[in-house]
Amino acid sequence: MKGTNLGEFEELLLLVVLILQEEAYMLRIKDEIKNQVDRSISMGALHTTLARLEQKDFLKSEMGGATNERGGRRKRIYELTADGKAALNEVKEMRASLWNQVPAVDLKFSHA
Amino acid sequence: MPKDLPPRLSLKLVRWLCKQELVEELEGNLHEYYAIHSQSNFKGLKYWYQVLNYLRPSTLKSFKNSNSGSMFIFNPVLTFRNLYRNKSTSLISIFGFTLGLVATIFLYFYLSGEVTTDDFHTNKNQIYRVLRVSEMNGTPYRIGVTSGPYAEALKTDFPSDIEATARALPEDGLVVVGEKRFVEDNLLFADQNFFEFFSYPLKTGNPETVLSTVNAVVLTQASAKKYFGDEDPMGQVIEVDNEFEFIVSGIMDELPGETHIDFSMIFSIGLMERFEWFDGWWNNGLMTYVKIPTPQQAQNVTNNLVPFIDKYMGEDFARSGKRIDVVLEPLTEIYFNDETRYDPARHGNLSSILTLAAVAIAILFIACFNYVNLSIAQSFMRAKEVGVRKVLGGGKSRLIIQFLSESFLILLLSLILSVGLCELLNPVFNSYFGLDVTLQWFDINVILFFMGLTSIILLCAGVYPAMLLSGFKPVSILRGGKLSSGKRVGLRKALVVTQFSISIFLIVASILIGVQTQYLNAKDLGFNKEALVLVDLNNSEIRENRERFKEKLLANSNIIGASMVSGEPGGFHDASSFRVTGIDAPTRMRTLFTDTEYIDLLNIDIIAGRNFSKELATDEEFRVIINERAVQELGISPEEVIGRKITMPGWDITDVPVIGVAADYHFNTLKDAIEPLAILSGGFHRKMLVKMNMHNVKDGLLLIDETFEELASGFPMSYQFMDDRLAELYENEQKQARVFSTFSGLSIFLACLGIFGLATYSAQRRQKELGIRKVLGATAQQIIGLISREFVWLVIVASVVAIPVAWYFISQWLGGYAYRIDILDYWYVFVVGGVLAVVIALITVAFKTYGAAISDPTESIRNE
Repeated sequence: MKGTNLGEFEELLLLVVLILQEEAYMLRIKDEIKNQVDRSISMGALHTTLARLEQKDFLKSEMGGATNERGGRRKRIYELTADGKAALNEVKEMRASLWNQVPAVDLKFSHA
Repeated sequence: MPKDLPPRLSLKLVRWLCKQELVEELEGNLHEYYAIHSQSNFKGLKYWYQVLNYLRPSTLKSFKNSNSGSMFIFNPVLTFRNLYRNKSTSLISIFGFTLGLVATIFLYFYLSGEVTTDDFHTNKNQIYRVLRVSEMNGTPYRIGVTSGPYAEALKTDFPSDIEATARALPEDGLVVVGEKRFVEDNLLFADQNFFEFFSYPLKTGNPETVLSTVNAVVLTQASAKKYFGDEDPMGQVIEVDNEFEFIVSGIMDELPGETHIDFSMIFSIGLMERFEWFDGWWNNGLMTYVKIPTPQQAQNVTNNLVPFIDKYMGEDFARSGKRIDVVLEPLTEIYFNDETRYDPARHGNLSSILTLAAVAIAILFIACFNYVNLSIAQSFMRAKEVGVRKVLGGGKSRLIIQFLSESFLILLLSLILSVGLCELLNPVFNSYFGLDVTLQWFDINVILFFMGLTSIILLCAGVYPAMLLSGFKPVSILRGGKLSSGKRVGLRKALVVTQFSISIFLIVASILIGVQTQYLNAKDLGFNKEALVLVDLNNSEIRENRERFKEKLLANSNIIGASMVSGEPGGFHDASSFRVTGIDAPTRMRTLFTDTEYIDLLNIDIIAGRNFSKELATDEEFRVIINERAVQELGISPEEVIGRKITMPGWDITDVPVIGVAADYHFNTLKDAIEPLAILSGGFHRKMLVKMNMHNVKDGLLLIDETFEELASGFPMSYQFMDDRLAELYENEQKQARVFSTFSGLSIFLACLGIFGLATYSAQRRQKELGIRKVLGATAQQIIGLISREFVWLVIVASVVAIPVAWYFISQWLGGYAYRIDILDYWYVFVVGGVLAVVIALITVAFKTYGAAISDPTESIRNE
């Protein structure tokens, strides 16, 4: 069941798409990742992952919004599916439960 | 920001390689990315990084055709089946291509041989021939021959520019080896460095030493075989003119290409150097070559040739009033400089070669057009096939490959057939066109030529039909809708018009070239050429005894007359400078040294003064008769010129009285206008003109032969009828006429083949319509007329196109002849050409439609 596991980068992407809402298309996603987590990802690499997420049914996309600087081409806008949101939630809850089980003392080193 | 667009190549790359459904987004992203980063450093680099990064498995197209069953893979069986099913079109196409290819291939071999003449010499770009330049009343002309001392003097005077010189002297002579004796007219006497200077290959012998002894001779393969058969000729003795003995010191290899000198044996020039005349600057007969390393040096030599020649001949020029300059002619240009006069070199005619090439290409185009036309016509039949294939998932490119491979197969079959035919027909072609073409198939250039030819034909003939067929929309075909055919019909018509234009052009050209050649042969030359035989005084014995030879001949009743000449009509007439008493400026005239019988023998009219007379003993001395043109040149009347004395400076001919004026006659070819001519009684003679009794030519010839043998025993006699000699002048025209008539026949045949095929389809496609017309009472004639009309119209349009073009080109061609037919007198030939094409087209179409016209209408209508 490959479909149920979310990779770290996949999770990141899903979150960014969720943040961007209607603005979630390739160049904005790329910028957002750069700004938020300071990672430069090529569009090709992003596309691969986005396509994989679509295949896993976590994302859906549709075409829309041609602009001048795009040479009149429309952009592909991504949106989370219910499965996608559920998967994100699941990851978040799983993390939270895991965090909760960590003894308080051991948390200190992270602030050192 | 429309200015700042991303590189087109990047977008193309994406379009080609990425999935169709992604292209829009990707392109948009790239556009935007490019726009955003247009200000940053390394923007190009960054951009291309993005582009290349996009090319990954998730975006790339799948190049495996997902649903291609075996029927869509290139399938030779399918191709063959298609060809077989459309037998008649396939045959017409193959036949057409084959004929076109045979013509092209044969001409290719001929032309490549011509064009690469002398290309095999290693130093071809450094070798020049020295030419003389003379002028005839204002028009300069080049002379191919120089004399012995030029080479030495050039080398001495230009020591830093001229690296080497070589001389070659063509001669004829009687060659005897044991029992074998032949008069050879292409013996060559050459300097001992000849084989180093040029790159003629030696099979036996060292190029540096092979001609170093005075009595050395080198044989060609052919002459070695001719005289020695299978024996080894090396060291054997060859006797020339019953007088000189040479020893074979080398044997040549087959030449790697054509060359401008024609020789069967090459002798050491040492023998010739012994003769006194060899050192004379004014002498003729020898070709001088120089080797100059760079073009700059050649220019330098050229610039200094005037002082050079003045240094050696200036005094003579001043004395004789006749000036002769020298120029350099690059080796590679010799062959096509066919204007050079008195030139022993072989020549080709560049314009006739270009014409031939154009004709070959035209024929090939006709064949291609046939194929295109038939394919387009066929496309209506094959539309359904295309539709089904497309519905079953055959992509456009796959269909194009299928159709192209059909074209390729047809072409390949034609190519194989035509190679076979060429091999088979080569001897026939050679004898018919008077050529000597060898077919060398295994040569890199030939292979490249074939590859080029195939791709060009495929491009011309295969690509359009393939694109057309593969472009059909399956929906409209399968729904049974009509294919829009307007544009294609237009193209087909244009192609047919072009084909017939070419054919009509060739028909008209071949008729008019024939008429002009006929005109040249039949034109009244101003003298009587009937029953004249030309005997070569080709050795010193017969030349010494020439008076006795003439007397002996005249004593026989089978001989009506005889006269000795320095050059026969159509042959050599040297040009010389003349001074006439009472006229200041010297006049250039052609000269003819003959005897008192000449004027009578040729029935030339005397318009003033008198003829030479044997009775007046003084005429055995020099007397001169000049022609009307010469009188004109002098600017006085014919009567006034009688009694004046002429002097030929530079010759020992002074104060010779002019006794008469002869009517102009054509002593030169009809390509040139008549020039001034001085006919002198006496002097040096090279030929004997003999007038035969027409009733007994055989005995007459026998008598000449016997007398010749008696006076110059051991020398075979060579003779020629004057008619043949004159016809030889127009050999080239005759050849051209032949080539044109052959090719015009071929082209009209191919064009008819094409419309035959088209008419077939027209009839088939309109089968039902014709059936209904018949039911409603149309007669067979009406139906034939109906289909023929569209084709006949095209041919009429073709004539309208072709006639002005033909008119223009033929006028140009005729312009090269001083004596020519008036094209206006032959206007009807143009009409005939057009009408002929229309009639032939009509017959072809009618022949094909007749079947459709008489067929039973119930058959065609019932058949659904």
